[in-house]
Amino acid sequence: MKNILQFQDVTYIYHTVRGELVAAKDLTFSVDEGEFVAIIGPSGCGKTTLLSLAAGLMKPSEGTIESRGTFGYMLQKDELFPWRTIEKNIFLPLEVRHQKAPEQRERALGLARKYGLGDFLKSYPAQLSGGMRQRAALIRTLATNPDILLLDEPFSALDYQTRLNVCEDVAGIIRSEKKTALLITHDISEAISLADRVLVLTARPARVAHAHTLDFGDVPPLKRREAAGFSGWFERLWRELNA
Amino acid sequence: MKNIPYSKEHARFLRRRKQNLAVVWACRIGLLALLLGMWELVTALGWVDPFIMSSPSRIARTIASLYADGSLFYHIGVTLWETLAGFAVAVVLGFAVALALWWSETLRKVLEPYIVVLNALPKIALGPLIIIWFGTGSEAIVFMTVLVGIIVAILHMLSAFIATDPNKILLLKSMGASKAQILTKLVLPSSYPAVISMLKVNVGMAWIGSIMGEYIVSRAGLGYLIVYGGQVFKLDLVMSATFILCLLAAGMYALVVLLEKILVKNTER
Repeated sequence: MKNILQFQDVTYIYHTVRGELVAAKDLTFSVDEGEFVAIIGPSGCGKTTLLSLAAGLMKPSEGTIESRGTFGYMLQKDELFPWRTIEKNIFLPLEVRHQKAPEQRERALGLARKYGLGDFLKSYPAQLSGGMRQRAALIRTLATNPDILLLDEPFSALDYQTRLNVCEDVAGIIRSEKKTALLITHDISEAISLADRVLVLTARPARVAHAHTLDFGDVPPLKRREAAGFSGWFERLWRELNA
Repeated sequence: MKNIPYSKEHARFLRRRKQNLAVVWACRIGLLALLLGMWELVTALGWVDPFIMSSPSRIARTIASLYADGSLFYHIGVTLWETLAGFAVAVVLGFAVALALWWSETLRKVLEPYIVVLNALPKIALGPLIIIWFGTGSEAIVFMTVLVGIIVAILHMLSAFIATDPNKILLLKSMGASKAQILTKLVLPSSYPAVISMLKVNVGMAWIGSIMGEYIVSRAGLGYLIVYGGQVFKLDLVMSATFILCLLAAGMYALVVLLEKILVKNTER
């Protein structure tokens, strides 16, 4: 497998009037094509910074970030625009990129229908449940057919029940669309239930402290939570995170 | 929803609501009638001097005579034109300036102290300057109206633009949106409720501006009638002009509310 995203000795420094803050120092890791990588770290270790760097919204102070392919960004909240219908929300990234070809719209609509949003296309976000809204947000992210999905704690705003379901949902959609994904989370069990590989970051300035390849294969999230190895991984990551 | 037959309890709830609304309206009208009646009574009985207090019947007679000599609609027209022109210019210009300030943070920082001072300055202090610059016609009054309204419009819209959800901006940026796209796709649509509230505030500001302008310098208009009436001790004229002013201001506010209803209906939010 070829790697699609590569961080090489990346340092990022935040500048404020009061001083400077080293958010990441000599951060090195890579993501392979088709891989699902989860990054966990203590709170405030600069996880979101890392995604902004990957997406090219910020430039590293030092080091290089190489990527092949386009990005789709998914945030904690769905961030659907309340004045647009679900359909118009899904078309938003196409509009922004001036991709007006009917095939592209049709492709996006096809995804929406395939993943159960067909009846809600003309509805407004306020009329949908939290889980459905997050699903719409994922379809919006997939509308431009990005190569890499950047997921910034995309389930943390949902209640526990919905969260497990949406997690299952999203994992299924990402696997069946064969996307590469980089997930940032503080939830250890979420990381284990979704990822092929888990990176554990240190406290600020963030570095990769440990990297683990999980051995669950294509087992979906809820089944993984029941799997024998799950609690072992949880304890291990928990210890590493609190080291 | 409409096809579902209501429960008895719900029907009772709807009936109560309707009754409550009727009571509120009856009380509103009753209160007005009571106040006007008392006013008329105490002046008719001579308990207070109608020369000082005027009275509803004298106001009606004054308005009728203004109508008879053809000056009623002339004065209303003059003030209405000044108010609407000043309102329109203040709103459009204020909106444009707020946009420019949102666009450039540097410009915003540069102009901030000027806007703060202009906001705090009582605009009437500029009266003599305005007379000298614009003369004693309607232009001076329109200028005063714009001056009173524009700062409020700028500050109101700017704070709405700046309050745009940063996560939604991040989302658009991650899609590769330009600043112009962030403006048209996010900032403007999400500032839509603020536009309505700015219009409502500015209706009031426009009337303050135009009447204040007419107090300083004018040869016609409702503000002129009030000042002139005060100077020659014709309190009937003062009261009549004030009464008409109340009606016009309420009418203009109602128009904005109507506009809001139409727009909200169209966007179906």
